[in-house]
Amino acid sequence: MRAAAADRTQTSSLTYLLCAVAWFVPGGGHLWLGRRQKGIVFLVALTLMFVFGLWLEGRLFPFDMTQPLVALSAIADLGVGGPYFIARLMGAGRGDVVAITYEYGNTFIIAAGLLNMLVVLDVFDIAKGRK
Amino acid sequence: MIVFSLFVSTVFAVLTRDDPKEQIVFGARLFGGFIGAGILIGWLLYPLPL
Repeated sequence: MRAAAADRTQTSSLTYLLCAVAWFVPGGGHLWLGRRQKGIVFLVALTLMFVFGLWLEGRLFPFDMTQPLVALSAIADLGVGGPYFIARLMGAGRGDVVAITYEYGNTFIIAAGLLNMLVVLDVFDIAKGRK
Repeated sequence: MIVFSLFVSTVFAVLTRDDPKEQIVFGARLFGGFIGAGILIGWLLYPLPL
């Protein structure tokens, strides 16, 4: 469903604000643009995916530049936005490396972050009038 | 794997299709593809020693 607000081409500064909101609140950009169905699905699915990853003993990786793969995982983790900071503040995401679900948890957390980055790009395209 | 496939196919379907009916069809095909590929790759890896 396309709302009239979503069909307008946004100004440049508003576009970046929209992208920031879309990053910080998964689905928030779509909700702002009037695409409620998409926004709600992204909000529920990506947040649940991230929480599921934490529940499976996944780890929020540190920004350790001496280990490139760990640093890339950290960037992917950060992609989910607000839930990442909430989890950090709550002390979640320490990860239990001996847990049988550890790698599954990491996969869920990383995939949630990467999918949210795609959602942000979609918001950018919509705001620019390309979709 | 099923839960992961469900989440990813839902997000991809909603992201790439605008019509709700198309979203359901594409999401179901994507989900089936994930599960089918998982089972197929699992069986292909079965004879390999750990």
